[in-house]
Amino acid sequence: MPATFTLTDDLFAPEVIADPYTYFGALREIEPVHRNDRFGLWLVTGYEELVWILRHHELFSSAVIKRVAAPPYPPVDAADLPLFDEIREFRANQLVEQDRPEHLHQRGVVHGYFTPKAMERWRPFVRAAVAEILDGVHAGGTMEVLTELAAPLPVRIIAEMMGVPYEDRDRLRAMADGILYINRGEPHRLRPLVDAVRGIVDYASPLVKERIVEPGTDFISVLAEGESRGVFDRRQVLVNTGLLLFAGHETTMNLICNGLLAFIRNPGQWERLRADPGGMARLATEECLRYDPPVKSTQRIAAEDVEIAGRTIRGGEPLRWIMAAANRDPAVFSDPDTFDIGRQPNPHLSFGSGIHYCLGATLARIEGQEVFRGLAERFSRFELATDRIEYQPSLQFRSVKSLPVRWSA
Amino acid sequence: MPERLDVHVDHDRCVGNGMCLEFATGVFAHNARRQAEVVDPEGDAAEDIIVAAENCPTAAIQLSDAATGEPYEV
Repeated sequence: MPATFTLTDDLFAPEVIADPYTYFGALREIEPVHRNDRFGLWLVTGYEELVWILRHHELFSSAVIKRVAAPPYPPVDAADLPLFDEIREFRANQLVEQDRPEHLHQRGVVHGYFTPKAMERWRPFVRAAVAEILDGVHAGGTMEVLTELAAPLPVRIIAEMMGVPYEDRDRLRAMADGILYINRGEPHRLRPLVDAVRGIVDYASPLVKERIVEPGTDFISVLAEGESRGVFDRRQVLVNTGLLLFAGHETTMNLICNGLLAFIRNPGQWERLRADPGGMARLATEECLRYDPPVKSTQRIAAEDVEIAGRTIRGGEPLRWIMAAANRDPAVFSDPDTFDIGRQPNPHLSFGSGIHYCLGATLARIEGQEVFRGLAERFSRFELATDRIEYQPSLQFRSVKSLPVRWSA
Repeated sequence: MPERLDVHVDHDRCVGNGMCLEFATGVFAHNARRQAEVVDPEGDAAEDIIVAAENCPTAAIQLSDAATGEPYEV
């Protein structure tokens, strides 16, 4: 590394939020396992290192929220700080924060609901939901993709999976929107977040009571059955209902927005998709996931001292694994900064790896495939209706604040 | 359902989720990269192997009838 080369240690610097690829890509080349003292974090950006960490769950705990009492960042209104404990408790009880053996028992309850075969049965519903939304926006010639397509679609699907009565859809949507504040920077964000979290608990409580007695085929019934078997307590059933609503919403939203943005900026790839939407949608979705992933990074905490890439991570030290950087590791991907929808194989890490591999991966894939296919079948060309794309100030999520587009039919 | 199955793990797809090791303990083990390997294709009953394959989150486990070589789709 040249002696003059310096990198900021501010992970929330505007240029790092706007373009995480240049920053984390430089880190990956210099030091794939890097200590950031300002945030007290290890940053893992190399593909091999990241896979190794994710596959050694006994060395790297997922119970980060339980173990790290860091204050919220970006900072929040001081008066709202007591609300933070409520959010921490809610998140610490979710499946994603558990280690083995509890994680295995809990995942065992919900895993079967999300298998590739089981999720494939949802494709016709997803396709119809995409068609209905696109029929509704078709006339205008402009669309704010985030609020008109990317946010409502996954909520519609999750509502159906939860078996929520039709007349409650707007209420669920409002709660889903409230939970998105988890990923935002506004100093007042804890209030709407806590309102949404309490709202979900209040809303789902009677549904869980019903389905303990009379189980259906919906996802809340699957969680309730876990309670009947003694794997979950009631609180865990409720917080994991909230997890489904959030994890299935934010991530799918980002996949749709980031993917469409990549197509707008790479018109040749859009033409490639349009030439064969049904045939190309699967590989194209994988490339969208790799190139500009919905989740940039996730956390672990070292359970003991671990040597990796010449560095020693001490037990109890938190780390972030940056899949956005690993997905562009030239040791694994040729021309990694090129958006190429024919890329195959495409072993991106956007769903993680190991025992915590994203439970909703197949559903996300189906949603992405049906959206990109539906768009390519209907519209010949998209262009941005803004000259400025802004992102939420989050280390974890790659979320545009807005994506206004114009199209030609 | 075939009486005996040939079992193959596609290592381009396997992400080391480990569920197959739970459903078919006698058939699958993790290698040094923590990807599934077949250690004994007859280590469990065919029905357990099928459940293991169905529960692979990346559909990385491919089965075929050991007698005929015909693929067995899960």
